[in-house]
Formats: sequence, C-alpha cells, structure tokens
Amino acid sequence: MSQNETDMVTILQDKFKETSVQVQPAQLGKAAVIADTSTHRNVLKVLLDADEKTAVIAITGIDLGATLGVFYHLRTSKGGIMTIKTELPREDPRINTISDLMPGAVFHEMEVADLLGVVFTGHPSPGRLVLPDNWPDGVFPLRKDAKLDNLKMKETPPSEPEPSGDARIVKVVVGPQHPALLEPEKFALNVEGEIVRGVEPRIGYVHRGVEKAAESRTYLQDVYLVERICGICNSCHACAFVETVEKILKTEVPPRAKYIRTIILELNRLHSHLLTLGHAGLEIGYETLFQYFWRDREPIMDITEILTGNRVISSSMTVGGVRRDISKTDIPKIQGMLTDLRKKLPFYKKIYAQEPSLRMRMQNVGTLKRVDALALCIVGPTARGSGVDIDVRRDDPYEAYGEIPFKVITYNEGDTWARMNVRMDEVEESINIIEYALDHLPTGPFRVRAPRAVPAGEAVNRVEAPRGELFYYVKSNGTAYPERVKVRTPTFANIPAFLKTAIGENIADIPANFVSLDPCFSCTDR
Amino acid sequence: MSLTNPVLWSRLKSPWVLHFNSGACNGCDIEVVALLTPRYDVERFGIKLEPSPRHADVMLVTGSVTQQCAERLKRIYDQMPAPKFVVAIGACSCSGGVFRGNYNVLNGVDTVIPVNAYIPGCPPKPEAIIDGVVKLLNSLKPAKPAKEEKKNEPK
Repeated sequence: MSQNETDMVTILQDKFKETSVQVQPAQLGKAAVIADTSTHRNVLKVLLDADEKTAVIAITGIDLGATLGVFYHLRTSKGGIMTIKTELPREDPRINTISDLMPGAVFHEMEVADLLGVVFTGHPSPGRLVLPDNWPDGVFPLRKDAKLDNLKMKETPPSEPEPSGDARIVKVVVGPQHPALLEPEKFALNVEGEIVRGVEPRIGYVHRGVEKAAESRTYLQDVYLVERICGICNSCHACAFVETVEKILKTEVPPRAKYIRTIILELNRLHSHLLTLGHAGLEIGYETLFQYFWRDREPIMDITEILTGNRVISSSMTVGGVRRDISKTDIPKIQGMLTDLRKKLPFYKKIYAQEPSLRMRMQNVGTLKRVDALALCIVGPTARGSGVDIDVRRDDPYEAYGEIPFKVITYNEGDTWARMNVRMDEVEESINIIEYALDHLPTGPFRVRAPRAVPAGEAVNRVEAPRGELFYYVKSNGTAYPERVKVRTPTFANIPAFLKTAIGENIADIPANFVSLDPCFSCTDR
Repeated sequence: MSLTNPVLWSRLKSPWVLHFNSGACNGCDIEVVALLTPRYDVERFGIKLEPSPRHADVMLVTGSVTQQCAERLKRIYDQMPAPKFVVAIGACSCSGGVFRGNYNVLNGVDTVIPVNAYIPGCPPKPEAIIDGVVKLLNSLKPAKPAKEEKKNEPK
C-alpha cells in the first residue's frame, strides 16, 4: 500500500468508528471499504474532502449469487485505489446515485444499470447506454441466471432523435456511419446557428459483450479475447489482464519479461500517438500532415512485427511473462529505426508548436479547465493537457517503469492544441523509454510457468494505455474460468470531456476537438 | 474490353470503396486507413475511399456485426447503387471471430447482407486486403475465350 492509501485508511477508520463501515486495508491488493446503501455516499464524501484528486475509476456491477454487488473503485492521488463495496438485494436492487457528488460517475452508473439491472435513484439521465435499442426488457446479461440463447429482440423501429422544442435549435446527427468517424457511434449535436448548444451521445454500436464472454473462457483464452477489445491499445489490455491474474496467482514475472513488456507497451503508445497526431491533421484540413505521420508510423508497425510476429494485434503477453524473446540480432535493427524516427521529430514538433494555420484551428478550441477535468474524472493525455498531473506509470509503477527515468508531460492550456502537444512530447519520451530498456535489458528467462487454475481471490490493476488509465478488476472462483472480468477503458472515462468541451464551440471545430480527445469506441463499448 | 464494355472497364480501373465498421476492434479499420497512406497507397490502382454509400462500388466491412449495427449495415447496403460488391475484412466479419457466440453479435457480415469476398486474418495485413480487392475485381472480368470453349465442349 502506498503512503497515501495508508493515510486514507486511517482517516476512514477514525471517521467511521461506530458505524457499519468496515475498512479492510489489504483486500484486492489495495484497500477496500465495506459500506452499505446508506453509508457509501458518506465514505465518498470523506475521501473527496481528504484529497482533491480523488476520482471514480470504475463502478463494477457483479452478481454475487444471493445479492448483487456494486463496487466503487476510487483513485487517490498518489497511486492508491480504494474500493467501496456495497451489496444490494437481488429482488429490488436500488442504490442512491453518486453522480451529484462526482459528475464523472454518470456513465459508469448507466452501464451498471444497463448490464446488471441496478436502479440508481436520483440519476440525472437513466436510459440505455451500451445495449441495443431493441434489447428485451428485464434481461441483464451480467446476471448469472440470464438466458441469452435465442433471445427474442423487441420489434421497435430504430429510434430517431426527437425534434427539439426550440425552433432556433437544429439537430445535426453525426453517425453511425460518417466519414469523420472511423467507428459507428451516433452523436446528435444541437446547433444554434454555427454554435453547438448540446451533445446527445448514443454509444453501444460496438458492444460485443466481452465482459460476459470472458466468464466462459479460460484465463489463457481470455488474454486473446481482451486483446481484441481494442486493436490500437491491444497490448495494454493484454498486459493489464495478465498482471491482474498474476496478482491473484502471486506469480513473480522475471525481469527480462518486464522489460520486454515495457518495450511492447511503449511501441503501442508510439503508434497510437502518431496515428492520432496524423488524424488530427486530417480533421483540420491538413492532409499532408496526416500522410507524413502515417508514413513515419509504419516503421513502428515493422518493429512490432519483428518483436511479436504481427503488425497490429501482438499477442505477446501471457500469464507469467511474454511469449517471445528479443533476439540479439534484432536490437540494432530496432535502434536504427527509432533513431530515424527521432531525427524527424524536430520537424513535427515545429509544426505542432508554431505552424500558424494549425494554431489558429487548435488554440482556444475545446478548452477543458483543470477543475472540470478533476470533477469529470478525466484521464490520460486529455487530463495532462489540462494541467492534471496524473500518469499511472509514475504514480503506481508496473513492469519496468519504476526503474526507467522518464518525464510526465503536462500542459496548462487545456485546449485542443495543448492535448495534441502532450502527445507530441510523449512520442519523444516513449522513444527514450524504449531505447533505455533496450540498453538495460536484463538477461535470464522471459517467462515462468504459471498454473492454469487460479485460486479464489480478486485483484484490481491498472496500466497507462495511450489514452489514459486502463483499469481491470478480476474475480476468480478457484476454477480455470474467471468469475468476473471488469474492464474500464480510458475513453469511457473521457466521454464527459467531449460533452463538456463541445458546448459553445463552433460546429466546424467539433472534429478537431473530438479527435484531440483520441476517442476509441471499441474500447468504450467492449 | 475497353471498347466493348466501357462501364465495366471503368469500374475495374477505378473502384470506389466505402468503409463500414460494424463493431470492429479498430485493428482492421486502421489497416484499411493505412492502405491510403504512402507505403501502400492504393490510389495507384484507382481505388478511392468514398465517404458516401451512394457513390461507392465496393463496401469494405469490418467487425462482427453487433445487434445495434445490423439494421444500419442493411440500410447502407441498400443505399449503394447496383452492381455492388461486399468484401468482409478480418476474422470477425468472416465468421464472428473471437466474438462468435456472444449475446450481442450476429457472427459475421453474411448473416445480414451477401458477401463477395472474404479476407481472413486478425487483422489481415494491408497487402492481403489489396490482394482480396484485386481478386474480386479480376473475377468481374469476362471469362477468357478458351475457358468458354471448354465449357461448351460435350462431356
């Protein structure tokens, strides 16, 4: 437990001496608090008062058999995760919302309501989030007794946004198939003249039911399943999952595997950032920049192919280590490619920092203030662009990040330009990390044998994916199949940022603003 | 061919493709976009990514088709002018892939619309996607005379 977490536990123990709240310092490998439906809000208030960076990471809904569990995972500023556990009766699962205390929890609560059937009393916008519009009532996929074979879908016409009452407001619907969106999601923009007054999102077009599917596959099969949640940050998903399982197994990964994992995770970040930096150019009408960035992204794909055998989905992580070693002959090749990329960076940095037309399209567009970023529980480069100094790699080091020196990039402007420049600077940091890791690669085995069956237990874990903090919760029941796998992806946490920053903007600035948050909807919907 | 059938000739030389993501993980989609970028540059074959279904000849579909996307996929297919062709890219769109049997997916594109070419892989390399599209175009060419003679031969 980190220092900060211990402080929090002490504060909670003092505060709730004679109530029904129990504090368990060592559960889940992190601290956990058992509360009930009447006290969970008080616990959250105490944690919020103690630390301004307290934020909701995720809300896990879980079927515990006789009852339904709702677990609130909270982040404290110095690498701690606190979990507030509540249990609800199965027949009438009701709990008070926390979205008034913590606006960032709105979508987390909607997801639990959708998939587990928990009613959040006082929620500002109850409704469907990820399941399709024609999903039958009363079927909740994450309940163990849900009958999901041969489901009969409701016969409902596809929903269209209702016309707004105000005659000056026009609804512009973007998606699900739209040239600016690579992924099928729908956003209805309420536009008055040229100015956006509100955004109504409809996500769930990419919901594939991964969390439920993970329960019917073995741990080893799940590595390949969770990897395919997202084709961009696939290694981060695989790494976060295997680390969680290793925490339950108490397996120690050999140092060489840790370094190889770090290299692959940073390659993931590099290709994702280069992709976004180019895509942002496309959205402001600067197609040359898009072509340049994607040209220079190809060597990164080649390095991934050299190391893992595949360009995109690397399938390199496994429980106990990695599946392939780095051969001695490959290292100079990789170093050469990285040196070539590094030589090109000053040119790109100059464009992003100084190019006048790019600055005109990006500066003071979609500004997210620091206080809003904290209240909405924003993560990753989006938060760092608003001056929130969070990075899981430094705050809660995993793999080899504790031993490798690197800088956490923050900008204070909070606009589209700042968010893109955070990524631009992180590209250089990533190259530094990979080069350091290649120079200091330890010798020894690259994996250890891990048992197939996992003892009963639960663990939480997070890694810093290219888009921000990626969170996993795994509960095992002693068999070869997990009881529950919960995934909270960075884009899911960042949707409120888009809804917030789009309001008051010119409609022509929406694409650039949207891309600067680097949304990944296959992650969001799972 | 150019003189006898100019429409087919122009279609083969410049197919406009529409990309539709029916619930994919982005792996295949990024590879489809990579096709347009300098290393692969499919515009040299006349292949152009077209945003509107009404102007497209070939639809490149990725993803395992989620319940919410199925209706939209059908609608976009109906909006394309005939003759139209569908290419399923990636293991998911061919058969459902790793998500086959999940409660919210329909196990492949051919459960909703007819498919002309399947490109397996998770994700397929850009070279494989180019190869698949070129094979589809070659199949549209009229059969060579020698082949036709063979067909007419008495058994």
